[in-house]
Amino acid sequence: MTIGALLEWWKDIAPDQAILLVYGGRAADFNAIAHTNKIFIDDPRLRTVDNQRERQSYHGIWQQVARWLKSSNTNFEFVYFAEYDHLPLTRDLNSKQLQLLQTENADVLAFRLQRIDGTSHPHYLYHVRDPEFHAFFDRLSVRADKRVILSMFGSGSFWKREAFQAVAATEEPFPIYTELFLPTVAHHLGFRLRDYGKQNLFVHNLGDYGNGINVAKQQGAWTIHPVKEVRTRHPLK
Amino acid sequence: MSAKAFLRSLGLVLVRCIGTKVTDANTGEVIGRALIIPWRGKLHVIGLENAVRVSFLPQKRLTYWRQEIGFTRHEPPNFPNVTSPSAPRDEKA
Repeated sequence: MTIGALLEWWKDIAPDQAILLVYGGRAADFNAIAHTNKIFIDDPRLRTVDNQRERQSYHGIWQQVARWLKSSNTNFEFVYFAEYDHLPLTRDLNSKQLQLLQTENADVLAFRLQRIDGTSHPHYLYHVRDPEFHAFFDRLSVRADKRVILSMFGSGSFWKREAFQAVAATEEPFPIYTELFLPTVAHHLGFRLRDYGKQNLFVHNLGDYGNGINVAKQQGAWTIHPVKEVRTRHPLK
Repeated sequence: MSAKAFLRSLGLVLVRCIGTKVTDANTGEVIGRALIIPWRGKLHVIGLENAVRVSFLPQKRLTYWRQEIGFTRHEPPNFPNVTSPSAPRDEKA
């Protein structure tokens, strides 16, 4: 899907000036993108091939977006992060997310949020081999239980600005996979994270759900992931 | 997909059909299926998709010859916001 087509999807959800494109592709292609709010990110921690084993990080994105938020004339209160292939399927996505955030009295909404410390979760076992892993969160945490490690699915998440910026301001001490780093740092800084619940049904790690958009919409999906290719533009409800 | 990856996927499909049923020792809920193989002083868990904790289970009857190892899961995260200095620090999932 082209960036132009992608932006068209998002313009049904939010005004142009509220959409920030963070581009991790080639610099030459970045210059050609006709969108005002755009950031080029040249971060080797983002450009991994084996994302889990190389412990891919979105922290560079968080830092750049936090800087952009500070420099913006608009006082944004919330940040919705989405990978390029995580598409919105409803026009009132933002109000739905705000409603859920309010109902859950949460600071962050995450897909497939789970607690994984002391478990067989492969990402936990891969990190816990390093004694510095738990030690980092021990030092950071304002909570009574400093052993908690959370995991979320990384393709999309909804944040109160305060939580987003606090995580952006926390330095990554050594490579930690983004699906662990972002939720666990937010948790230990004291923020409340909640899961998207039944919206998890429409967020998958593999495949291409471009042909499943209509079915997902009928089933009440707010978003869908991953969609690599869409041949026809689907009007949003 | 390489031949190795294909064979692994095929093996996992098989394990998830015929593997032993893994249940949550607290709730009795089925967590998934896995092949559990003792090997060189360790248990190898193959094919289990969900994250589980492992522990020896409490016993109704004292036995010196047999103990059970069971699987449990964490509760879904439901921790309060504790960013304000006055917020309670004793929270649980």
